[in-house]
Amino acid sequence: MRNLVLKLHIYAGLLTFSQLMLYGIAGLVATAQTAAERPKVPHAVRYVPFTVQPGTTDRQVADDIYNTLHLPLTRPMPGWFLRRTPENDLLLDFYNINGIWRVVVLEREGRLRIEEIRNRLGLFLGDMHAVTIGDDEAPRLVRVWAVYNEFAMWCLLAFCVSGVYLWLTAQARSWWAWASLATGTASFVLMWMSFR
Amino acid sequence: MYKIIRTIHLLLASFSLPFLIMYGVSAVQMSHSTWFQMKPAVTEHELSLASGETDARIVAREIMNQLPDTKGELSNVQSAGTGLSLRIVVPGTVHEVRYDRTSGVVRVKTSVGGKMGMLNRLHHWAGFWHEPTSMKAWAIAVAIVSLGLLLVGATGIYMWFTRRPERRIGIVLLAANVAFAVTLLTLLRSAGP
Repeated sequence: MRNLVLKLHIYAGLLTFSQLMLYGIAGLVATAQTAAERPKVPHAVRYVPFTVQPGTTDRQVADDIYNTLHLPLTRPMPGWFLRRTPENDLLLDFYNINGIWRVVVLEREGRLRIEEIRNRLGLFLGDMHAVTIGDDEAPRLVRVWAVYNEFAMWCLLAFCVSGVYLWLTAQARSWWAWASLATGTASFVLMWMSFR
Repeated sequence: MYKIIRTIHLLLASFSLPFLIMYGVSAVQMSHSTWFQMKPAVTEHELSLASGETDARIVAREIMNQLPDTKGELSNVQSAGTGLSLRIVVPGTVHEVRYDRTSGVVRVKTSVGGKMGMLNRLHHWAGFWHEPTSMKAWAIAVAIVSLGLLLVGATGIYMWFTRRPERRIGIVLLAANVAFAVTLLTLLRSAGP
């Protein structure tokens, strides 16, 4: 039995190694964050000719722009997310896993201003660790990653169980391992209580 | 050497165990939100402060003095019309405050998440930019566990590779995982912006 559990622990660990490394990196990235808000500085700006059809609603304009630009890995703009700039131009933020394409509809000039806001690599990896299968409307590539992420998530819980089993069945005599477990548990409990 | 690596793997994993369980369970909750009842317990209080106050920090401190359970980090400060709105937050608990500058009346709506709500918030809580000491302590724990996870993985690789029976199949599994991850991450990253 122990041998079987050990093999499963090893093979599952190898099969989800990249995801586990990603989880560790995501934690370090989150630790290094200096504020709740993400930076939103565009790294590139370009203009594209675009004519808004007379009499169309903001939602229709947003859909037209989505169908025209074909911005990769984005999805149609939900109605509740339509906004205006201080100059009252329609503002559309098309999000994907890498950042934002910020499109300002300059109707009077007959063009779109497209700002490309790209998240740093650390934020990208942090977002990748958070992808879940609960998002049915996500782009296909993202959903593929989500499925593997789901598998890795369950493996992580299984490692907790199998790891304890392997330790206890190895005649867990080392007092320092028990001390380490006690320290981690006490830290967690104390912080939980302080937040409550 | 193997014994040292194994000891490191064991010590890091045993320290991190409660945190890893927290992350795993809360990840299940986020991935399958319909499986769990997440409705917070909501209570409301009303109290009186001096009128005419414009500084949200003073309002927050006065509230914490009068309602000792209303502790946490001040956030989401907004000034609107005749009043202020702000939030006082700790993981799992949110106090939404509305202060009427004219009358000095304060309404505090407190939402307390259950255990799953708390786990969800702890999963998202990280970084040293939070003010309270308890949250900075949590940030230290997150950093240790995150680094620990990387080292647990690395030591695990070492220990696996020294085991001949699992080496051949292991190489296939590891190669498949790394190839899949690198390919997908590269494709997604290169999609822009």
